[in-house]
Amino acid sequence: MAHAVISCLHANLAALEAVLSDIDQRGIKTITCLGDLVGYGPHPNEVVNLVRERGIPSCQGCWDEDIIEGLNACECSYPSQLAERRGHRAHQWTAEQLNDDNKAFLASLPMVLRRDRLVFVHGSPNSQHEYLLPDMDAFAALERVQTADADILFCGHTHRPYVRELRDGVIRVRVQTPMGSQPAAERETAWPVRRIVNAGSVGEPRHGNTHATYVIHDEATGNVEIREVPYDVERTCRAIVEVGLPPVFAWRLRHGFEYAERADDASHVCER
Amino acid sequence: MARWALVSGLQGDLALYEAIQRDLRQLGRVDTLFVLGDLIGPDRDANALLDRLQDPRRGELAPQCIYGWWEDQLLAERGYRGERRAELLRQQFGQAAVEALELAVDPGHLAWLAALQFGFIELDCALLHGSSADVGDCLGAESSPLLLLDRLTRMDVNRLFTARSGEQFCVELAGGGIASTVRDLAGERQLQQVVPQRKVIGIGSGLRYSLYDPGSDRIAFRSVGQQPGSRGRGFA
Repeated sequence: MAHAVISCLHANLAALEAVLSDIDQRGIKTITCLGDLVGYGPHPNEVVNLVRERGIPSCQGCWDEDIIEGLNACECSYPSQLAERRGHRAHQWTAEQLNDDNKAFLASLPMVLRRDRLVFVHGSPNSQHEYLLPDMDAFAALERVQTADADILFCGHTHRPYVRELRDGVIRVRVQTPMGSQPAAERETAWPVRRIVNAGSVGEPRHGNTHATYVIHDEATGNVEIREVPYDVERTCRAIVEVGLPPVFAWRLRHGFEYAERADDASHVCER
Repeated sequence: MARWALVSGLQGDLALYEAIQRDLRQLGRVDTLFVLGDLIGPDRDANALLDRLQDPRRGELAPQCIYGWWEDQLLAERGYRGERRAELLRQQFGQAAVEALELAVDPGHLAWLAALQFGFIELDCALLHGSSADVGDCLGAESSPLLLLDRLTRMDVNRLFTARSGEQFCVELAGGGIASTVRDLAGERQLQQVVPQRKVIGIGSGLRYSLYDPGSDRIAFRSVGQQPGSRGRGFA
C-alpha cells in the first residue's frame, strides 16, 4: 500500500491544494502530516480547516507548538536576529488570526505518530526543533531511528526532502570495570538497515525550487518517491503582502530557498 | 602531568568527603578535584558539606562542582527552573522525599547551587553528571554503544565522564563503521563513516571515585579505604 507524507504546510493554501490534488490523482488514500500547519504563510485557518476536513492525521510541529504555548524555543530557532524578528512578527500575526477552535486542534496534536514500524515526527524523536539534515553524523542519525524504535523515521522541519538509508552499522567496544585483574571485555553490536525519510515542505520549499514537495512510500516495494508539485506561487505571495506579513516571506517562496537563514548548528537540541 | 580526581554522590556526607580528601592526600599527584553533582540528597543534612565545598580548609584540594540530579530536583521545586517542579523526584521517591530534600538544604545555599554549571569541558573531555542529553541520563557499561557515541558526538569530545549511574566503568569505542546513501532531488551520494576512538567513563558514586591522568589517558577506579599502592582496580 502506498501512502503519502506531507510536512511543513506553513499556511500556504495554494500549495496544499495542489499537493492534495496530486495525491488524489494517484489514488492514495492514506496521508500523514508531520506538522507546521501554520506560520509564515497567509492562510492559517484555511489550511488547518482543510487538514481537519480531510481527516489527515498530523503530529505537532514547532510552529504549531509555539502558537499554542508561546515562543518557547531558545535562540536555536533562528540563525540571525533579523530572522528572529521576522519570525516573531509572523508568530504574532498567526496567533491573532487563528481561531480558538483551530488553536485547540493544534494543541491536541501528538508529538509522534506510529504505524507499526513507521514513525512520524516533525523534527526528530527528541524535539520538534531538532533538524535531521541529510549529511548529519550517520551514527547520530541511526540513534534517532533506534530511539524511535522504527524501521523508517519520517521527519520534516528542514524543508529539504531526502531519503537516507543507513546500513552496515557496527560498533565494537572494549568494556572495563573495576573487577580485579580481569581483562577488558569486548563486544560488537550491529544494526539492521534503517531509513530516514524527510518529506520536505509543502508550503515553504527550500530545496532550490519553488515547487511544493512531499513523499510517497510504497510499503510493498519499500520505494520512496520524492514528489515535486508546481502550484500558484504568486497567489500565495500576493496574499502574504496583502495581509501585512514581511515581504521576504514572499521572496523566499519565489526562490525556493531561505535567504541567509540556515541554522548554524542544526544538531542543536533545544532544551527549553 | 598531575591527575584529576572525579567524585560524585556525596549526598551531604561530610565525613565521606573528608575521607576522600585524606585518600587524595595520601595518593599525591592529584591537582584537581571535580565533584560531578549530587552534593545533596534527602537522607541527611547537607549544610555542613555545602559549607565545606564553598570554603575549603587549608591543605584540601578546592573542589570544582557542577550540579547533579538531586540539585536539579531541589532547584526545580524551589522555583529555579521556571515552571518545572520536582516531578521526577515525586514520581520515583514520593512527596516525603521532596520534603526531606528541602529540609536537607538551608535556603541560604540555593543561590550557590543555582549558580553551578551543567558540566565542564577540560581539554577534550566533558565532565557531566548525566550526559549531554540530560542531567538525569543514566549511562552505564551496558548502555547501547550507539547511545554512548551519540552523547559523545553531541558534545564533540573524546572522553565523557559521567556519574549518574553510580557505576565505575570505561567503555572504549574500539572500531566499526556505517555506510549510508542519501538521495534527494539533486541525485544520490554514498557516505562512509568510521567509529571514532572515544571513551565514556563512569566515575562511580559515594565512596567509589576515579582518578584520571589526562597526560597518559590512564584511569584508575578508587574506593575510599583502598591502600594507595594496591593494584587491580586501575588499568591503562
